[in-house]
Amino acid sequence: MTDSAELERGYRRWLSWYPKTFRREHEAEITVLIASAREGQRRPEAVECLDLMSSALSMRLRPRVPRADRSAFRAIKLMYLGALVELAAAIIILATIGEIKSEVVMSSPGLTEAEWHAIVVGQLAPTEVGAILGVGFWLWIAWSIGRGHRWPRLVFAIFFALNIFGLLNGLVHGSAVYARPDLAIGTLLCLVELAALAVICRAKIAPAQSGTSRTIAES
Amino acid sequence: MQEATFLILTALAAGSQHGYGIISDVAQISDGRVRLRAGTLYSALDRLRIDGLISVDREEIAENRLRRYYRLTPEGSKLLATEAARVQSNAATAIARLRVTRGLAG
Repeated sequence: MTDSAELERGYRRWLSWYPKTFRREHEAEITVLIASAREGQRRPEAVECLDLMSSALSMRLRPRVPRADRSAFRAIKLMYLGALVELAAAIIILATIGEIKSEVVMSSPGLTEAEWHAIVVGQLAPTEVGAILGVGFWLWIAWSIGRGHRWPRLVFAIFFALNIFGLLNGLVHGSAVYARPDLAIGTLLCLVELAALAVICRAKIAPAQSGTSRTIAES
Repeated sequence: MQEATFLILTALAAGSQHGYGIISDVAQISDGRVRLRAGTLYSALDRLRIDGLISVDREEIAENRLRRYYRLTPEGSKLLATEAARVQSNAATAIARLRVTRGLAG
């Protein structure tokens, strides 16, 4: 095997990080470009590999809708904001656990350790896990909008309805008013969700482009 | 607009080019200051294509190897012209103010 062929094979391995559709169209082009630029080199350069890897990750994660589609980008930004608020909610629950306990003790003075443990396991832990999963959910919806999918509208509407139901249910049963910071972040989260729902429903999301073949045909 | 994007669009302003041509041209335009790597270049080309600023002009097979040529679209030309005017205007202001400062200092 020649140096060039070995080098090309080495770079092809790194190109496997890229999305399939991109690889199908550009793998040969990129491999030749990198491999032919180095004489006598047998192994891929570390800097070049890092560049390929980071570009591949960015290509997989970033939105694939045109920047001119402002409504889609606005929806994506709101989803990122939602993820941030959800993360803040998860942190606040942990940070205010002492305050929550004091509030619970104030409303039920005879609270035993076993009852407190039941509240932590039955209410606080699920809320904390839900907030952490919520961060992933917001990011997933943002990613899906960036891919030009329309189904996130329905999924997000269901998510919003469930969250509102959860918050109201918590308020009715007292669990959502254990500590003021938790109530404040919960309310903020609902407002961001409401804004995101409004924007996502109004966004004109066009299907994302994936290949160059259409562009050639158009030109 | 990022400098790399500006330079890629500038490289394509004179006519269509393939990947290696763009890398060489960008290095030349920037006096060797900006050296694009393949991953960065194709990531930028992908983004520019999605935004409708460039398109594939043609494909050639040279020595059994694929060469894909990219060109600016009318939207790309327009955006580059706007950005170039903005940079030129800022540079002109900076130079004019420096002249005044130097004039006052001298």
